[in-house]
Amino acid sequence: MGVTCVSQIPVAEGKSVQQTVEMLTRKLELLGAEKQGTFCVDCETYHTATTTMGNPAQPGKLMYVMHSSEYPLSCFALFENGPCLITDTNFDVLMMKLKGFFQNAKANKIESRGTRYQFCDFLVKIGTVTMGPSARGISVEVEYCPCVVANDCWNLMMEFMQSFMGSHTPGIPSVFGSKHDSVYSPADTMIQYMELLNKIRKQQQVSSTGMR
Amino acid sequence: MEAPPVTVMPVTGGTINMMEYLLQGSVLDQSLESLLHRLRGLCDNMEPEAFVDHEMMFLLKGQQASPFVLKARRSIDKAGIPWHLRYLGQPEMGDKNRHALVRNCVDIATSDNLTEFLLEMGFRMDHEFVAKGHIFRKGIMKVVVCKIFRILIPGNTDNIEPLSLSYLVELSMVAPAGQDTVSDEMRSFAEQLKPLVHLEKIDPKRLT
Repeated sequence: MGVTCVSQIPVAEGKSVQQTVEMLTRKLELLGAEKQGTFCVDCETYHTATTTMGNPAQPGKLMYVMHSSEYPLSCFALFENGPCLITDTNFDVLMMKLKGFFQNAKANKIESRGTRYQFCDFLVKIGTVTMGPSARGISVEVEYCPCVVANDCWNLMMEFMQSFMGSHTPGIPSVFGSKHDSVYSPADTMIQYMELLNKIRKQQQVSSTGMR
Repeated sequence: MEAPPVTVMPVTGGTINMMEYLLQGSVLDQSLESLLHRLRGLCDNMEPEAFVDHEMMFLLKGQQASPFVLKARRSIDKAGIPWHLRYLGQPEMGDKNRHALVRNCVDIATSDNLTEFLLEMGFRMDHEFVAKGHIFRKGIMKVVVCKIFRILIPGNTDNIEPLSLSYLVELSMVAPAGQDTVSDEMRSFAEQLKPLVHLEKIDPKRLT
């Protein structure tokens, strides 16, 4: 486990999501990255039932429950700008028990699936973000395995990302800001995915309302 | 180049529908040693594990008549082990053929920011206590002998006093739903502890 940066890459002009993913993976393979199976990150949204809660201080707070194939026996529960709880997968059973208090917005389930590559000390995961049946975007996760302090390896990571993402290389992730020189944890990766998947979900909502 | 790891899809869903079978009793402080001695003889051949735990009861109130209750437990004496979050369903007494109290249960290991997270979810802490004692095992059965301590200053587990002059004794096991025959094994084990302690299925409704 090392330091990870999760970002989005826009769909190339005149190309489909799948074609853009293929272009990226081809670049990685040309660099010498090796394919290592697949990965999946999913995110489910739960609404706090405000009508039943009767607590006006927390209107419609959203809770996210996520899973990652990199941590197959764990479950991550998060609030936006709030704490991230790491649990075992029995947390999913608890959410079923909590049905009366937290409702699963099933239509909002969003996931990123794709291929996992290794290039020396880097792990790269290129994923197609889907919500329901349609592809909504492309996620790129880059992990630098030998280091756990974000500030110590950010420049190196950025340089590596530039080699295959070019002008779409992301800026420093906001979770790094709060970490300073402290140890990076898997929860920080999930927070980045949550933020990215939310952004992609909102983009879609805006463009679909714009079409009307 | 090392072999590529097997990538697996996340296991979602957890273990569904597990039931806890429970028998309870108590012994006075002066009888503790003879009970522990008996348990050492009856249980699996291992030294009983000593523990000091801090347990907090959290409630989530909704429109429903009864609030949703969760128990959060952490070890005080051992560092670095996960917190334990537990949901327990409505207890069923059942008929005479079932020899233990049965309730649905979900056990979850969590990171140490559980309290903060439960508060964020809208839970409120109702009460807390410290439990000190020993755990014995026999097969999948678990015997816990512990003393419950009241916490005098909220959140401060150093400032505690015993709740009573006795020890709580609990015999429990967790099994998939519908396997009521496991309670027979519990009954025969409880029989072997008589007359040191009488373990019974106690209806919590009777206590309120």
